[in-house]
Amino acid sequence: MLSPERLALPDYEYLAQRHVLTYMEDAVCQLLENKEDISQYGIARFFTEYFNSVCQGTHILFREFSFIQATPHNRASFLRAFWRCFRTVGKNGDLLTMREYHCLLQLLCPDFPLELTQKAARIVLMDDAMDCLMSFSDFLFAFQIQFYYSEFLESVAAIYQDLLSGKNPNTVIVPTSSSGQHRQRPTSGEASMLEGVEAPLFYQCLENLCDRHKYSCPPPALVKEVLSNVQRLTFYGFLVALSKHHINQALGALPDKGDLMHDPALDEELERLLLPFFRLAQIPGLVNSVTAGPEASCLPRTPPRVGSPWRPLHHARKVDAESDGSTEETDESET
Amino acid sequence: MDCQAEVNCGLHLVIQASSLPEKNKVEFKLNKETPSFPGRLLQHDLERNYSSRQGDHINLVSSSMPSFPILQRSSEEKILYSDRLTLERQKLTVCPIIDGEEHLRLLNFQHNFITRIQNISNLQRLIFLDLYDNQIEEISGLSTLRSLRVLLLGKNRIKKISNLENLKSLDVLDLHGNQITKIENVNHLCDLRVLNLARNLLSHVDNLNGLDSLTELNLRHNQITFVRDVDNLPCLQRLFLSFNNISTFESVCCLADATSLSDITFDGNPIAQESWYKHTVLQNMTQLRQLDTKRVTEEERRMASVVAKKEEEKKRESHKQSLLKEKKRLTINNVARKWDLQQHRITNIATNQDRKDSDSQDHCQNDGSTISAFPEETGSLDSGLTSALQGLSVTDTHLVEVDGDTLSLYGSGALECLDRNWSVQTAGMVTTVSFTFIEFDEIVQVLPKLRIKFPNSLHLKFKETNLVTLQQFNALAQLRRVDQLTVDPQGNPVVNFTLWKYYVLFRLSHFNMQKINGTEVTQNDMIMAERLFGILAHVASSELPQYHLISILGDARKKQFRYLLETKGKKPGIVNEENNDSKRLVGESTNRATLNYTTRDFYNEKLEEIKEKKKFCKIYIEDLVKEATEINMKNEALQKLWPQMFIELVRDAVMEIRNKNSYMKLCLQQITDQK
Repeated sequence: MLSPERLALPDYEYLAQRHVLTYMEDAVCQLLENKEDISQYGIARFFTEYFNSVCQGTHILFREFSFIQATPHNRASFLRAFWRCFRTVGKNGDLLTMREYHCLLQLLCPDFPLELTQKAARIVLMDDAMDCLMSFSDFLFAFQIQFYYSEFLESVAAIYQDLLSGKNPNTVIVPTSSSGQHRQRPTSGEASMLEGVEAPLFYQCLENLCDRHKYSCPPPALVKEVLSNVQRLTFYGFLVALSKHHINQALGALPDKGDLMHDPALDEELERLLLPFFRLAQIPGLVNSVTAGPEASCLPRTPPRVGSPWRPLHHARKVDAESDGSTEETDESET
Repeated sequence: MDCQAEVNCGLHLVIQASSLPEKNKVEFKLNKETPSFPGRLLQHDLERNYSSRQGDHINLVSSSMPSFPILQRSSEEKILYSDRLTLERQKLTVCPIIDGEEHLRLLNFQHNFITRIQNISNLQRLIFLDLYDNQIEEISGLSTLRSLRVLLLGKNRIKKISNLENLKSLDVLDLHGNQITKIENVNHLCDLRVLNLARNLLSHVDNLNGLDSLTELNLRHNQITFVRDVDNLPCLQRLFLSFNNISTFESVCCLADATSLSDITFDGNPIAQESWYKHTVLQNMTQLRQLDTKRVTEEERRMASVVAKKEEEKKRESHKQSLLKEKKRLTINNVARKWDLQQHRITNIATNQDRKDSDSQDHCQNDGSTISAFPEETGSLDSGLTSALQGLSVTDTHLVEVDGDTLSLYGSGALECLDRNWSVQTAGMVTTVSFTFIEFDEIVQVLPKLRIKFPNSLHLKFKETNLVTLQQFNALAQLRRVDQLTVDPQGNPVVNFTLWKYYVLFRLSHFNMQKINGTEVTQNDMIMAERLFGILAHVASSELPQYHLISILGDARKKQFRYLLETKGKKPGIVNEENNDSKRLVGESTNRATLNYTTRDFYNEKLEEIKEKKKFCKIYIEDLVKEATEINMKNEALQKLWPQMFIELVRDAVMEIRNKNSYMKLCLQQITDQK
């Protein structure tokens, strides 16, 4: 009796409802898990903290992979957490192997699967020489689209394979009548001769995919932009282009490439943490050699600022885009 | 011109050659006197040339046979020197026929060119025959000389000792300076007192039985490598083996039983160069009075026996040690092979490595049955007094070894040793713990025990322990203190990571580590570690929601208490460091405390446990949602229906009140009805 009415609900409400349910279930599960500890803590306070952390994106820290993967928000939060925690590694300039990045991921999520990291590495390395070293930013952006859109990418891969082998997947599915005629073009001969697939055809398939896809997918406009620049492209070529193409704004999790190493609040925090070490190392030569970093200084010029715990993701992004980064003071107070 | 030659063996021969111008006087006397000169003189005399300056006049008349000259002496000479004849340096190439001298007792053919001994068979009274320095190639023509006592054949070309069968009275046989390779055909010479075989080609000494009177045997300057049969010579007093090829005492061991020997020389042999030479000889030949022409003193004898005893001890000890080492090696090989199998590394391809392994494994299998598992008694563990190796428990599956300050564990079975009772002394001395061929995840489970049982362990070494992720280092935080960490690249892929050292320094910063893999930790390293991962710690502690923090830390503390209560608690748990360790950096330690390591198995176990709860939660929430949606729907339905309902209500009311009078009547009636 209720079902037909449910289906009649507008899509966005239905989606929102489902994700809320995920969090509710998880909250109750956490409550059950830690009954004794939380009962002293206070249940109302627990729920407050839980949903606060969900908003902030810290709820995914040290959680199991199944939870992290459960919702797009979780995935985005995880990406952001990974970036914030290991930005310093990237800033240091170290090039790491896929396995080492996987280790870092496992520090935050103990059972993170290796396949995802491998797939991300394949994007960076264009499916070649998997033992190569990768820079932090390359890996991070590739990992972003791989992790966030993993189901979408699987479908894209399938479509790509079909197109390569000449099969046109769109003929199998029942499309809307108007677009049906366009897709009857024979492509088998050409596709097998040259590398990759034809961009326009590819785009049409993807568009179709986006329409009916349950999971999140990149904004079609973005996909169109990526595909309009080239005639033909390979699968990994497509992914690389996608990863580099301002998809960050769509996701809202990571800053753009230029700002990747930039996080003033945490940098200040880091300086504060390093202070005891500098006090110990009063040898002038030593201190000089260490503090040769671009923005590092022996003493914090401004008093250490407690970073606001309530920065919602979208808001932070907007702020970064607008100014040079020293905008924390001008933040409006969040609700 | 008198020459005297003294034969020092009971015979006293005096050969006098007086230089009468025309006559050839050769006299000799036979004396039996005890010798007063050392035998050496004899050799010396015999070996060097006679400095005879005589020019004996011999009339050599050519005979009817063209090759053999005939010797004739004047009858005066014959009467004067009836028993001796000297024919040295006569450039003789053959032995001349000697006529009418049948009672000749001494014949001297020295320094000639004679190639064959001939024409002397008639001299059957001959006692002394000297053929020194000729070219004789074969001993022959002596079979009738049954009275011969002294036969001097030195400096010839004789290759073989033979044809001495009838010379049963032989007293001195001198064959020095020849080409003899073998001692043979002398066994019947039971009266022989002196045998000189110096400067020949002998490679070994045997076949000496039957020489029951032999007192002196000269074997100098040969190629002798071993000596036998000397213990069958009951009278042998002097044996000269200088300048041969003897290198071990075993090759002359029969000398130990030659009780009559009093004088022996070994100089010029390889054995004389050995450090143990003198002691060994003196120890084995207590009957000796002179060694290498020096008297053996009592002091030397005493020293020799002392040293010999010590050597024996050392040998026994080293034998024991090597046995133990061998056992250890076999066990370690066995453990290694098991480990490789476990890691799926061994294939059927017979590479060199595998062949070696399989060889040692076969070896193991052969010896595996002989290596019995013997758990040592706790008492024996207290013998930490000796700094020698202690193989404590050796089976063919694991090995535990305490060597002074190092505890070495091979194979996962070795971890059980931490359950044993260790003496405080032994346990207190251990500063280094080394793990090999053990899964790191298994080590993690016993780290609390390690901390309690070996409180002074400051240096941890890991080799072939399958360290693959940085996370695993989090587990080390639960120890009290680690000064040094060594992670061998072999079998530990984590070492290939660029950042592993910094991560270790960061996570275990409260330990103030001094060395990692042998290199000192500098302040720069610490700073870099903090720089790289400091934010991770910050996020992990301050940004974690409180309930989560409590759940991680609180959970751990609970489990720790539970472990301490059960002494043999094998429950693998999330374990944390104690916060009361380093007071100075307490802030930092809690900062990292949330970075834990749980073994994969335990993690999966936990997730399994949560599944039930998750299911329940799901159902519960669904019920809640159902309720809420129901209410919501009803609400919405009400919202939809309400305007209509309201209008109807209003309409009904208005309609009712339209006619005031009838309405009043209706109300009154309602009131009365109610009663």
